[in-house]
Amino acid sequence: MNKFFKKIVQFFLKWFAKIYIWRIKPHIIVIAGTTNRHWIKEAVAITLKEKNFQTRMNKKNFNAEIGLPLSILGINSDENNFWHWFKIIFQAAKKAFRSKPPILNEFLVLEMAIDRPKGIKYLLSIVKPKTLILTTVTMIYAENFDTLDKIALEYKRLIKSLYRHGLAILNFDDERIKSLAEFSENRVISYGFSKEADFQVKGVKKTTNGQELKIQLYPSRQIRLVKINRFGEHHIYAALVKEIIRENFRISAPDFFQQMRG
Amino acid sequence: MFYLSSLIFYCCVSFLNSKNIDLKKVIKSGIILLMFSRTQKIQLSTIKQMELLASKIPDVVSLAQGIPSFDTPEIIKKAAIKALSRGVAGKYSLTYGLPELRETIEQKLAEDKMYYDYEKEIIATAGSIEGITATLISIIDKQKNEVVLFSPSYVSYAEAIKVAGGKPIFVNLNEQSGWGVDIEKLIKKINGQTVAIIVCNPNNPTGTIFSKEDLFKIAEIAWKKKLFIICDEVYKDFIYKTEIEIDKNSEARQGNNKLEKKEDKSDFFSLAQIPELRKIIIRFFSLSKAYAMTGWRIGFLHSDEENVSEIIKVHDSLVTCAPVISQYAAMMALDFCDKEVREFCKQYQYRRDLICGYLDEMADFLSYQKPNSSYFVFPKINSQLFEKKKKRGESFSWNFAKDLLDKAHVAVVPGVAFGPSGEDHIRLSFGRREKDINEGMKRIKEYFNHK
Repeated sequence: MNKFFKKIVQFFLKWFAKIYIWRIKPHIIVIAGTTNRHWIKEAVAITLKEKNFQTRMNKKNFNAEIGLPLSILGINSDENNFWHWFKIIFQAAKKAFRSKPPILNEFLVLEMAIDRPKGIKYLLSIVKPKTLILTTVTMIYAENFDTLDKIALEYKRLIKSLYRHGLAILNFDDERIKSLAEFSENRVISYGFSKEADFQVKGVKKTTNGQELKIQLYPSRQIRLVKINRFGEHHIYAALVKEIIRENFRISAPDFFQQMRG
Repeated sequence: MFYLSSLIFYCCVSFLNSKNIDLKKVIKSGIILLMFSRTQKIQLSTIKQMELLASKIPDVVSLAQGIPSFDTPEIIKKAAIKALSRGVAGKYSLTYGLPELRETIEQKLAEDKMYYDYEKEIIATAGSIEGITATLISIIDKQKNEVVLFSPSYVSYAEAIKVAGGKPIFVNLNEQSGWGVDIEKLIKKINGQTVAIIVCNPNNPTGTIFSKEDLFKIAEIAWKKKLFIICDEVYKDFIYKTEIEIDKNSEARQGNNKLEKKEDKSDFFSLAQIPELRKIIIRFFSLSKAYAMTGWRIGFLHSDEENVSEIIKVHDSLVTCAPVISQYAAMMALDFCDKEVREFCKQYQYRRDLICGYLDEMADFLSYQKPNSSYFVFPKINSQLFEKKKKRGESFSWNFAKDLLDKAHVAVVPGVAFGPSGEDHIRLSFGRREKDINEGMKRIKEYFNHK
């Protein structure tokens, strides 16, 4: 796709996605950070589905300028020729303006990725989160940023853009993410190994089949034993976020959306 | 003592002179033997030797090397160009590989029910053979230096074992039982010096898939004897449906689309899916075949953290890291090219049927087992017809392949390259273009008709 054509496609997709959000009013959960977005996204979506919430998430790496609006509209695509994109725009228009909205109690779980400064600003012009989960700030995709602090600055824009009564879920093991808590005007729940974290890991045991975790819940301080069939620290964080979602989205879907819409 | 040595030396020189042997050459080869003691035992792969000979014949049709005829999908090439223009491909990555690639690999493995930690248990390698060599170097030592491999199996394993200072021990597969494993034979070859068993599944060159039962038996032996299992699964994406499965699918298509999608997903079983075995399984995958990326030299290995933390040291000293541009390309391939892989598989299945059709016409000369995976067929030559041409001490399959190349201008790989039980066979690749398969097989047919 040449640059000019890409701009046109981007423009149409952005506006059709905005129209869709305006009409359907889904609850949007955004996961951002330089690593571990995928596993946390999966954990969130699985937990919501377990509670019978209608949930959609972005597939694979559909998380930037073009992929994000496509995910919002629920359109699958791979890069192809001009006519292919022409068809995609037509599909997007159909989704955005369909006379009868298909679902009104929908959760959208979206990964957001940035690879250049002000990347988040553009994505925020399409969608604003009601729940925000931040993972880490590391050197991945850092080639376009001078310092890690500049990446953190992008996430600061995200935390400030949260809707009123929104929720920020922050990884307190990452110093830069932790420091963003002070910019939140909404409720913050923290997670991690850190003693300051609300949802805290109290013990990890590697087994043949995966990992056994002791997670301290918030605010009850109750310890929950969790077994996961995955290996690696990143899955511990996903398990923590899963518990946060489980504890904070307790009511049924219709009641939840009734409350949201006042 | 001095006089005795001088006398021996004088006798040797006189003997060599009387036989017209150049003394300088003898000394030079002696020095080479001393200096290259390890590589003297290693041979350039027979496949490459055959390709080298074939390259000198202008109108040759090659059904030898396992190179896919397809070009790398456009989307992958674009990702590489993008990485180049972003200026990220020119520097080393972490020795383990780009974290974002390893994260993608972890996701891909999880889709196949294999759970490994991208941070500590996955390494991006320069093709699978680099990973295999690094692994062999890290596990072979003076006490434990024997590696069991099945015959026939991929040519480069034996050489990689020798590179690592080990000794390849062949266990013949049973042709009569569809190239299955003879467990009794396997047990007999294992001793105190054995360190690992290499399992190429689906197998190259036979194109057969080991049964779950055979794999479990291999795993049980390895577990009891504390051996590693090196699983090379580069052809796992090219598994062909049997007629029964095709019928089932067409029924499903008529009835329910969702069911059809489910049936399309292959049920390939890997020992790496069993968490209890993760400490002894080291699994390899290469993007070369599945994504038509042979020239990119990119693949990966995964195993338990304990094993990977040792292998990484060798990988680092061999290549520092896998080619970074290929790592970016691989990321795109794994994320977005499932459709292309399915299409390749469909094409190969068609070509398999095409090549098997020709082989059926040559049933008097070649007998074969229809491969249900990879893009190779491994027919047996009716050697009785060539009894007169057999020479003692020489490989029949090598001579046959050479003769075929000289007279019919078709390059194939002699079966002996794949181990002792490969003798009397040839390997034909149907990864080549349909046009080449047609031309090559017509020439082979003509060659036999003139016999």
